[in-house]
Amino acid sequence: MSVLTVAPTEIYESGDSALRVVAISQASEDNWLTVHRLADWLENCGAEGLHGAVPTYDSVLVEFDPILVSARQVRAFVKLGLLELDHAGEGVQTPREFDVPVVYGGDFGPDLELVAQYQGISTGEVIRLHTEKTYTVRCLGAPAGSPMMDGPAFPKPVPRLKDPRLSVPAGAVAVAGRQAVIAPASAPGGWCVIGQTPLSVLNIRKEPLVPYKPGDILRFRQIATEDFNGFVGMDLEPLELERPR
Amino acid sequence: MSGRILIQQPGNSVVTDLGRTRGPRFGLPVNGALDQYSARAANILAGNQDNDPLVEITALDFRMTANTDVLIAVTGAPLTLTVGGRPCSQWEPVSVRAGESVSIRGIHRGLRAYLAIHGSIEAETLLGSAAPDTVVGFGRQLRDGTTLVTRRSVGPVRQPYFDLPLFRLGLERPSMGSDLLVDVTDGPDVAEFGESGELLFTSEYTVSGRSNHIGLRLGGELPERTSSGEVLSRGVPVGAVEVPSREELLVLHRGRGVTAGYPVLAVVTSTGLDVLAQARPGDKVRFRKTTAAEATAAHRRSRAQLETLRESVHTVFGLLGIGCRPQWQDLPVAACS
Repeated sequence: MSVLTVAPTEIYESGDSALRVVAISQASEDNWLTVHRLADWLENCGAEGLHGAVPTYDSVLVEFDPILVSARQVRAFVKLGLLELDHAGEGVQTPREFDVPVVYGGDFGPDLELVAQYQGISTGEVIRLHTEKTYTVRCLGAPAGSPMMDGPAFPKPVPRLKDPRLSVPAGAVAVAGRQAVIAPASAPGGWCVIGQTPLSVLNIRKEPLVPYKPGDILRFRQIATEDFNGFVGMDLEPLELERPR
Repeated sequence: MSGRILIQQPGNSVVTDLGRTRGPRFGLPVNGALDQYSARAANILAGNQDNDPLVEITALDFRMTANTDVLIAVTGAPLTLTVGGRPCSQWEPVSVRAGESVSIRGIHRGLRAYLAIHGSIEAETLLGSAAPDTVVGFGRQLRDGTTLVTRRSVGPVRQPYFDLPLFRLGLERPSMGSDLLVDVTDGPDVAEFGESGELLFTSEYTVSGRSNHIGLRLGGELPERTSSGEVLSRGVPVGAVEVPSREELLVLHRGRGVTAGYPVLAVVTSTGLDVLAQARPGDKVRFRKTTAAEATAAHRRSRAQLETLRESVHTVFGLLGIGCRPQWQDLPVAACS
């Protein structure tokens, strides 16, 4: 990994109880690292009145209780955090890896054909491109801590469905734009569902509720339809073997 | 001593609290009581901690009976509260005898009521909060026959003469009605709307029936985004005002998905969110521009009233022996005259 640099940032007021910090360097990887390291730092700094931070790609939303802490104080915390991170120059944990079995197409992936047609490639090619890539979890999104990832190397961005589904099942493996995701819980959705994993992604009896964190690595692996039931009831868990880096 | 409360008519009610503030970090919305002022007030009036689990009742009539004496407080939208058939005051502690029916009917001029029970009620928590999360399937929607366990019983507290209300704590009630004025601050993406952003302050909007705890949809003249191109998903604050379609304005409330890709035109203030929590379909909404500093000052003023209330409740409950030994005998004679 290259030397960590903290990207330059801008801070925007976002109502009376939140700030949006945006990293504005030309390097999207630096921006992403900066906002996630800042979110971790804020989470652990123990400042009173800070509810937490929601980091995504190039920004982090910092939420606070304005009765306990002022927006000015939170701004100062953010700047302090950025300074400390710049000096520390470390703080990135070794990513954990997850193997995600997926049944593609059919009832499990109702939009596989659609995606193939739109891309002008075969469904097999869609599956190949989707399973070939190593995915980094960029952030936890809605709904329910979905792992937001940069999508596979399709020729074109994938358009969203014209009529979003009222309910997409838990475990749905979907793509949209240049992004890929797994749905941890059943929810409405407008992304193209190309497959489904039989593993339980979300477990509300565990903390954290989802097993992965931003920075962790996911790989998709095709399984046969008849193997689906064999995985049902199992939780998605990190691979135990640490690979030498 | 704990007791049981039997729900006989649930209407549309849930057990909740002030929200899952740790949720957004994990991709879960904060959720919790939509009208935070009313929820806090109910708990304070019942002698509880602000964040204790309580019942949020939305729009529909509600009825319950306890098998032990309890002390309750009901706040939020105007309604008819009766205990054992006697009309009782909202926004005051109310003593309920074992077996008496507590009935909440005719919620009007607002949408949500809060019912707190002294000693609070037992509730499971997720990331430290009892607030329901419909997406992950957590929380307690009350049903006909649901039993709630209260942690404490309170002997009857009743004025001996004509059953007049015992408490007159005189908390300022939020004004409610069908014309709502909602304070907002400029959103982080206000520049993307150019001059059309001003429409938000010159137009009147109508609350759509498709509104809920996730967000309110408002019909009216819509500001338009002047920039185009895809926006990267970002964390969105509760209260974010967005224009996702050509038909409606969307104001996100406490059940909002934590990330989204729409530019944020404005953000409703903390006190403004309480106003919107009480908006009924068909109500008219006007937005007023304020600054975060003014919004926080207003928020602090309203919280200060609740602190004054807390002190009054503490004093009165102490004297009456609610949750402790009665202290009124200790008072010097002069204080009672």
